[in-house]
Amino acid sequence: MELMNEIKIKSKNLNVYYGEKQALFDVNLDLNEKEVTALIGPSGCGKSTFIRCINRMNDVIDICKVSGNIEIDGVEINDKNLDVVSLRERVGMVFQKPNPFPKSIYDNISYGPKIHGKGETKSELDEIVENSLKKAALWEEVKDRLDEPGTGLSGGQQQRLCIARAISVNPEVILMDEPCSALDPIATAKIEELIDELKKTYTIVIVTHSMAQAVRVSQKTGFFHLGKLIEVGKTEKIFKNPDNKMTQDYITGRFG
Amino acid sequence: MTKEERLKKRHSAEKRFRFYGLASIFLALLFVLILVHNIFSKGSSAFMKTAINVEVFFDQELLEIKNGASDDEILEADFFDITIESLIKVYPAKNVEEEDALIELFTTDAEIEIKRAFLENNNLIGKKINLEITASDDIDQLHKGNYPRDIPEDRRRISDFQLVIYDNLVENQKIIKNFNNYFFKNGDSRDPELAGIGGALIGSFYSIIICLLLAFPVAVLASIYLEEFAPKNKITDFIEININNLAAVPSIVYGLLALQILLATIQLPRSTPLVAGITLALMTLPRIIIPCRASLKAVPPSIREGALAVGASKFQSVFHHVVPLALPGTLSGTIIGLAQALGETAPLILIGMVAFVVDIPSTPIDPSSSLPVQVYLWSESAERGFVEKTSATIMMLLSFLIVMNFLAVYLRQKFEKRWN
Repeated sequence: MELMNEIKIKSKNLNVYYGEKQALFDVNLDLNEKEVTALIGPSGCGKSTFIRCINRMNDVIDICKVSGNIEIDGVEINDKNLDVVSLRERVGMVFQKPNPFPKSIYDNISYGPKIHGKGETKSELDEIVENSLKKAALWEEVKDRLDEPGTGLSGGQQQRLCIARAISVNPEVILMDEPCSALDPIATAKIEELIDELKKTYTIVIVTHSMAQAVRVSQKTGFFHLGKLIEVGKTEKIFKNPDNKMTQDYITGRFG
Repeated sequence: MTKEERLKKRHSAEKRFRFYGLASIFLALLFVLILVHNIFSKGSSAFMKTAINVEVFFDQELLEIKNGASDDEILEADFFDITIESLIKVYPAKNVEEEDALIELFTTDAEIEIKRAFLENNNLIGKKINLEITASDDIDQLHKGNYPRDIPEDRRRISDFQLVIYDNLVENQKIIKNFNNYFFKNGDSRDPELAGIGGALIGSFYSIIICLLLAFPVAVLASIYLEEFAPKNKITDFIEININNLAAVPSIVYGLLALQILLATIQLPRSTPLVAGITLALMTLPRIIIPCRASLKAVPPSIREGALAVGASKFQSVFHHVVPLALPGTLSGTIIGLAQALGETAPLILIGMVAFVVDIPSTPIDPSSSLPVQVYLWSESAERGFVEKTSATIMMLLSFLIVMNFLAVYLRQKFEKRWN
């Protein structure tokens, strides 16, 4: 058995409530550094809620209450005194629907570095934009039209632009919330290739509805059901020989 | 019911609906046309005025000044005698009554018009020049065909003798129509031929600018706070409901409020654009907040999330992304709110803008009129000459409103189109 990477993110007894409704029940999940962890499960099972705890995106929702612990590199982040801005600088996020800013491609990428004071000069910014786009495998397609609106790109390109935007601030973790659900198979294949490349540098958590995608891109898979983490383990094991009956039923398509 | 019958019924219901829709649009257009036609047919003649060509002799003996006199000296000087001498030479009059009748054909400002011509070129002493002296309101209306001449003399403001002079002047081509610059330049006057909307234009302009300066920043900041930062609880719900209620409060209530607070308590000068602007700002505030909040609400949440996810603070996500996207809607909402304020009459009447103001206001704290109040004032005046002036003022007001509304649509389309 090959050795797992070091633990980057650790959640302990994580509970999330939306008003009266509890969305997550005592989730204990470890995510390894420079690895892709896929979270699968039927709709509304809490996968997205879980990853939104990692960059405190749930703060935006007034009625959302989070209790329990999440540690990144051993430091508690579910702490009122923690500055979410610097947390989100370390933990980037890519959403289900591509959401580029209605600005130029260049401005989409340079926005993050600018507000964090990275890239003081124009040439530094140019370099960040070029590198981010290259890492997101978009550079060749857009290098001649950086001043065109990001919203004018195709869906797959927009999503890669959003990935480039997340990379631009040089995060340690990238959260992806069903990044391919709005894309066609060709664009999906490109994103998956990209994820494979990115895991060399970043810790990636991906929520997906596609079992095939989880198998293709992830090393570790967690299965959620009704707000509970049912089973977690190496992707191969989860899909070939799950311990839990429910996991078995879900991956064979008997419910979900 | 068979399938065919149901189908037929459905089709005829659709046809009926189309007919009703077309009929109501047609009816609405018809009313607009009638309104526009009515205003234009009454008002368009106000942009021209009637003048009578008079030969003026600047007789040294009648004037106390010499060639090359300073402007102040000319302004001080008495031009009454030459004015009378020039006017009565237009037609041979036999006695003083006839001379008076002759002088009545001209505006009461004839002396000022002659003095103005002299001021422009002050070496006219001893010279004869032809001047176009504005005709009196009665002659103006008669010449424009608005005054019936076939009614008995005792029911006419123009005597038979004056009609004879008029006909003679027309025959000799002494009566001219020229552009009515008084209408745009002058303030209000008791004499319709001299009355203009100059004061009302400036008054309305100052009022709207003050209204904009007060209402826009407050409304935008309030909307941004309520929409983006305020916690969603009972207090903010209560505020939201009350903003909607305020937008529906009749404008006269704001007038009463201003009367009590701004005039009675704070003692601001009455009849001034300053007070008008503050009153209109109070009234316009909720009417700007509502479209402003709507356009903030229309910005997709994914944009906010995108900004937050790269580590923008709440403030940065709002002011770098949401507000710029909401700006076109906000601006057009503001312009439409201002257009409503421009046409508002009732609150201005209450704060005393209905006063008779002849002078053109030079600052916002000078007493002034405003366009809609001027319409109201003139529509109540008895003189025939004010009828066309009322309609012409409505035309001016309507054209401002149309321009503002077009600007609102243009801004919205121009800035929304950019990224689609």
